[in-house]
Amino acid sequence: MSYTITEKCNGCGACMRLCPADAISGEKKNLHTINADLCIECGACGRVCPQASILDGNGIACTMIKRSEWSKPEITVETCIACGICVDACPVGCLAMSERPRNKGVDAFPYLKNAKACIGCGFCCQECPTDAIIMNKPEKTEATTKAKESA
Amino acid sequence: MSKAYMGKILMVDLSSQTMNEETIPDRVYEQYLSGMGLGAYILYNRIPAGADPLGPDNILGFCSGLLTGTGSLFSGRWTLVGKSPLTGGWGDANCGGTFSPAIKHSGYDAIFFKGISPKPVYLYVKNGKTLLKDASDLWGMDAVETEEKLKKQYGEKAGVAVIGPAGEKVSLISGVCTDKGRIAARSGLGAVMGVKKLKAVVLDGVQRIQVQDPKEMKSLSLKCIKWTNFPMPLSLLPGVGLALMGTFMGTTPVMFAQDGLLYKTILRTWGTGGMNQMSVEMGDSPLKNWDGSSKDFPLGKSKTINPDIIRKAEIVKYHCYSCPLGCGGICATKGKYSHTHKPEYESILALGGLCMNEDLDSVFYLNELLNRAGMDTISAGATAAFAIECYEKGILTKEDTDGLELKWGNAEDVVALIRKMVNREGIGDILADGSKVAAAKIGRGAEECTVHAGGQEPAMHDGRNDPGFNVHYSVEPTPGRHTIGAHLYYEMFQLWKRVKGLPRPSLLFMKGSKYKVNKEKAQASAACSKFMSMGNGAGMCMFGLFIGAKRVPTFDWLNAATGWKFTPEEYMTTGERIQTLKQAFNVKHGIKPKNNFISRRAQGHPPQKEGANRGRSVDVEKLAADYWEQFGWDRTTGIPKEETLKRLGIE
Repeated sequence: MSYTITEKCNGCGACMRLCPADAISGEKKNLHTINADLCIECGACGRVCPQASILDGNGIACTMIKRSEWSKPEITVETCIACGICVDACPVGCLAMSERPRNKGVDAFPYLKNAKACIGCGFCCQECPTDAIIMNKPEKTEATTKAKESA
Repeated sequence: MSKAYMGKILMVDLSSQTMNEETIPDRVYEQYLSGMGLGAYILYNRIPAGADPLGPDNILGFCSGLLTGTGSLFSGRWTLVGKSPLTGGWGDANCGGTFSPAIKHSGYDAIFFKGISPKPVYLYVKNGKTLLKDASDLWGMDAVETEEKLKKQYGEKAGVAVIGPAGEKVSLISGVCTDKGRIAARSGLGAVMGVKKLKAVVLDGVQRIQVQDPKEMKSLSLKCIKWTNFPMPLSLLPGVGLALMGTFMGTTPVMFAQDGLLYKTILRTWGTGGMNQMSVEMGDSPLKNWDGSSKDFPLGKSKTINPDIIRKAEIVKYHCYSCPLGCGGICATKGKYSHTHKPEYESILALGGLCMNEDLDSVFYLNELLNRAGMDTISAGATAAFAIECYEKGILTKEDTDGLELKWGNAEDVVALIRKMVNREGIGDILADGSKVAAAKIGRGAEECTVHAGGQEPAMHDGRNDPGFNVHYSVEPTPGRHTIGAHLYYEMFQLWKRVKGLPRPSLLFMKGSKYKVNKEKAQASAACSKFMSMGNGAGMCMFGLFIGAKRVPTFDWLNAATGWKFTPEEYMTTGERIQTLKQAFNVKHGIKPKNNFISRRAQGHPPQKEGANRGRSVDVEKLAADYWEQFGWDRTTGIPKEETLKRLGIE
């Protein structure tokens, strides 16, 4: 089910600029709409909307999250089979296969090449056949928890 | 809709530069799957009888597999379809890489092109937008350069399929290239793209592929990974150990049925090239333009193509999309090009053994040269071998060859000759359309030196060693094809474990028994054809299927992805339907199946006097008749009977 935009939209265009499927259209300062045929339900629009005007596929309103706190993929190379499904699943192309193998291995492995572009959709994590990817909030929060632990 | 397929195709008319989106009814997918099956369905119905393959009526299709992007493994293959200018009949070429999911992400199961563009163009698809863009600045660039340029413009994520200069120059042995060196090479379909003035297809969509039961897909895939990771001690063996195994297999009169786990290990460790020396020794590789034997290319000569040497050049393994195995590799090379895709077994033996060429550096160079040019390494190597034989027999002289000394094993001149073929210069212009066309142009008895099936050069697997290859080279709607069936393939597919009524081959057997003609052989060959036609509709990799039908759960993946409840037997009927439709395509276009039989030399008439295949000959005529009967095609002509078409629902 496609995401939708409610009347609360103020037409800032943040979602439109971010949508990897070019599914959102609208004039500046006017109500925007989502083309259901193109929407891939990545949820980026909901996370970026300052008006909380976006409803997900189940009709539940999304809440805005600071972009620096969007979860990002963490890849466990040990269980990865180098099939490349995650790289293909990423709608913004922020994952890539390495050009060289790791340590004494022979296979390339996927890594977050362009962390800034990541929209935290989690498609890579969903589609990984070996569950080698988990979505986690980025380092900042981790660093603080680690600091807490050591303290 | 969550049924694994997108339910739509894009039809591009290059003559009028218009595009049309079409919805395909569910029943077509249920009957033909996607991929090659969908391609056959569209082409059979829409290409008028007798259409010129290089004319505007021919349709070229880029078809993704039904299982591509569904969470299944080994399902990243796409099929290029069209009427072949090389054979005049049904043409298809299969390719891996990452282009197959790109087709589906663009929102279509397949993209077809008809007509001829007045000027060079490329297609660009992104998020519902489809555009034909000017390609005049790309025209003339090689395949890798073109791809790099397009990816610079549209991002690394875009799926890009291109033709190189060989396709632009309408070489009948040219193909379509993706991922900087994976090539849909066979059937000469690069020429069709070239004549249509279509330089590239760039797909940059992000549409998602939905499946019916994602949980079941994942659990099936996890079980499959257990088998692909299954440890086999074979990987510890040095490359030469395989060669000695080959020597043993070439001399022993007793054979054992092979399990795909052995071959899987070879693929994982070395890639297809792991078979190089082993195949020469056991008589699987044709040598010296199919005239030589393993005695002409002994271990002392073949040691230069020892798979361990090739493995040393490998920087990193290359996996096609959704492949847990990774038989490909990226290699560092000396000379002009710094990198190349690891040369495949077929390329090494066609450019090496078939030309008696021992120089591995030249094979690496030619592999990259041909990938960039977008020319089929099998046909290019086979045509070079044909030219050498003509030269050695005096049919071609130094004057004809512009001063090249075309002698067996003369690496430098083989390189020079293939460069000429790529550029269509001098003798290369004659040879660039394959050996059959070249022989007709040369005359003077050159036809005697050709080995082809229906105009296409067969691959580097000798049907005198495994008669199954000769059957499939001769009877397939795409003649000369090695990726469908053989005695060995049937053993590895292990179809009898899933499909009722299929014969189980004996574990230990006398080699001579392979050459006997009986019903079991015909059943096995027919099963291979049905299974691979189905597999190509699903987008499955043959190497994955080799691991065994029980371990790589194609049938179950199909059901879980689509929500269908078909039995393995019903899926085999789907394969039968696709195969019969391709044969009907050939009949519609005036192909006489009997004329596609492989050249007598490769059948073992007369038999070889020495080497692993000494004294062996294959009765293709009898084997073909039995094969046709299995499908309900006429025993004498190979034409599908009315009742067969009716039973399968083909109109």
